[in-house]
Amino acid sequence: MKTALALRMKGAGYLGEWQLALPLTLAFASLFLAPLLLLFGVSFFNDDKLTEPGLAQWGKFFGDPFNYKVIADTLLLGVKTVAATVLVGYPLALVFIDLSARLQRVLLFVIVMPLLLSVVVRTFAWIVVLGHEGLINTLLLRLGLIGEPLKLLQTELGLVISLTQIEMPLMLLPLISVMSRLEPNLRDAAAALGASRWRTLFTVIVPLSMPGLVAGCLLVFASSTTAFISQTVIGGVRLIYLPLVIWQQSLVVFNWPLAAVASMALLVSILTVVAALSYLGRRASGAIHG
Amino acid sequence: MFTRRRVLAGATALGGAALLPTIAAAKGGLTAAIYPGTWEDAYRAIVIPALKKTYDVDLELQPLFAVDEVAKAKAARGAPPFDCFVLDPGPRITAIEAGLFEKFDGKKLSNASKVPSAFIDEWGICVGAQVVGIAYNPKKLPAPKGWKDLLTDPWVSRLGITGFQTTFGTVSLIEIAKQFGGSETNIDPALVELKKVLPKIAAVGQPAAMPGLFQQGQCDVMYTNTQTVATLKGKGVDIEFVKPESGAVAFYTTLHIAKGSDAIDNAYKYFDTVVSTPVQEALTKPPYNFLPANKDVPIPPDLPMKSLDEMSTYVLHDWAKINPLRAGWIEKFNKEMAK
Repeated sequence: MKTALALRMKGAGYLGEWQLALPLTLAFASLFLAPLLLLFGVSFFNDDKLTEPGLAQWGKFFGDPFNYKVIADTLLLGVKTVAATVLVGYPLALVFIDLSARLQRVLLFVIVMPLLLSVVVRTFAWIVVLGHEGLINTLLLRLGLIGEPLKLLQTELGLVISLTQIEMPLMLLPLISVMSRLEPNLRDAAAALGASRWRTLFTVIVPLSMPGLVAGCLLVFASSTTAFISQTVIGGVRLIYLPLVIWQQSLVVFNWPLAAVASMALLVSILTVVAALSYLGRRASGAIHG
Repeated sequence: MFTRRRVLAGATALGGAALLPTIAAAKGGLTAAIYPGTWEDAYRAIVIPALKKTYDVDLELQPLFAVDEVAKAKAARGAPPFDCFVLDPGPRITAIEAGLFEKFDGKKLSNASKVPSAFIDEWGICVGAQVVGIAYNPKKLPAPKGWKDLLTDPWVSRLGITGFQTTFGTVSLIEIAKQFGGSETNIDPALVELKKVLPKIAAVGQPAAMPGLFQQGQCDVMYTNTQTVATLKGKGVDIEFVKPESGAVAFYTTLHIAKGSDAIDNAYKYFDTVVSTPVQEALTKPPYNFLPANKDVPIPPDLPMKSLDEMSTYVLHDWAKINPLRAGWIEKFNKEMAK
């Protein structure tokens, strides 16, 4: 029956493998690639009415040293958030693989839960936690650990703390899916050969979990550097990142060419870091596999 | 058995069925942009049922800030995502320059005679006014007298500010600049003075985040409009409005028909309903506290104006002069305030 169907499909000359990818390819080309090209095209106009072609907005954006600081701050925010999610998330993933199947399900639910809430709700919840009269300050004041409220909201520290929680599922899900497929006997073998637990962790588990770790880092980096709502609501507008500049230029002053240049700067700088990360990841996992 | 022909026939039928409600709704439907917050709440509660009752028109509201409306309409190039705008003076001028409005004929409104004649022009109709001044928490701070006070203790260390993205932010910063020798076209003195006290300032936030920051005690004094104060008060927040010594700022809010709209008749019915006496009366009451645009409606005693004629005693700004400078001011604000 199966063979007959396959023969018939082949005979009829439709549904080759590449054709199965056609809907997604078309959607990708029309909904992502075409707008991206359009955006790139818009950046080559000098005026906001898109009448005079030219490179003036590129010159304006890259001629202003302030914008380099904005790009650097944006990338640095991504790096800090990635570092924090790895520091908190990796030990959690290690705990996860040793749990019973039932507890794993519970923990997985807890990990995924933040994704079920809108990012706006999560972000505003962090205002309540980090605020001048928020949970943390009230707690520390009542315990007598501080004399007056700490400034947590509208600081980079507060922003990184909240982004760490907001982006955590993006780190943990790929990490856990790779780590739960690790052969448990490998750890026993390492122990039998006399490796300490730390040595087993760094020479066996970490290299083998690298694909998950790299995937998690990529997702967290790309998501935190572009998290406009969290950046502006929790970070305030004294911390200036590229998404804020893009929003101001496109939606407040309607200078679309400059917004397009800033968007290209964001895209290229994130892609560069992402490419570097995945290259390093491939090399690190290659060290053990090959 | 699923044949290609049957599947296609089924899909066409489904597609056709999906179109039906659209056709039905288009008969008596209208989509209007509205400011999020008080405006949206009030129009949902009062205008939607009134429009349905009087004209059998279904109104769908799209919550958008003024600048977002202009951006969306510009991006849509002649196929507007909504039929009506609600705008402040600055974005209104931008939209007129970009040709985003249909011409408006006030004579088509049955309630036109009840609206002050200056409220109707060739582009739209004024349906309210917003008053901007200082809001503070009376339990935490004494009442500030004017804009200058904001930059001195005890207010400055509890002050929350926003930049030039919104109308209320822009006019407040202009007024601060004026106290230090600046003007409608020169806001530099405000930035110089703000920079001197910047480390002390409690919050520099996004306009939409300010009510939340005030509510959470992150700041206890800020510049804002009377409606935000009324809304927060309604939620039990300790907040009072102060009219600065140099005068509170007022600006009009206007409705316009989007160019290319296919529901122009319904748009007139919508405007007519908004300025009708019962709707205006309901809008002036708490928790909405709108200033009425209808001469037959008395202004309630707790609003900052006694009559709309008082508008001339408020500080008004010339947005034709401000608009071209605003992009530069936003960049300057970013640079001066950045950490």
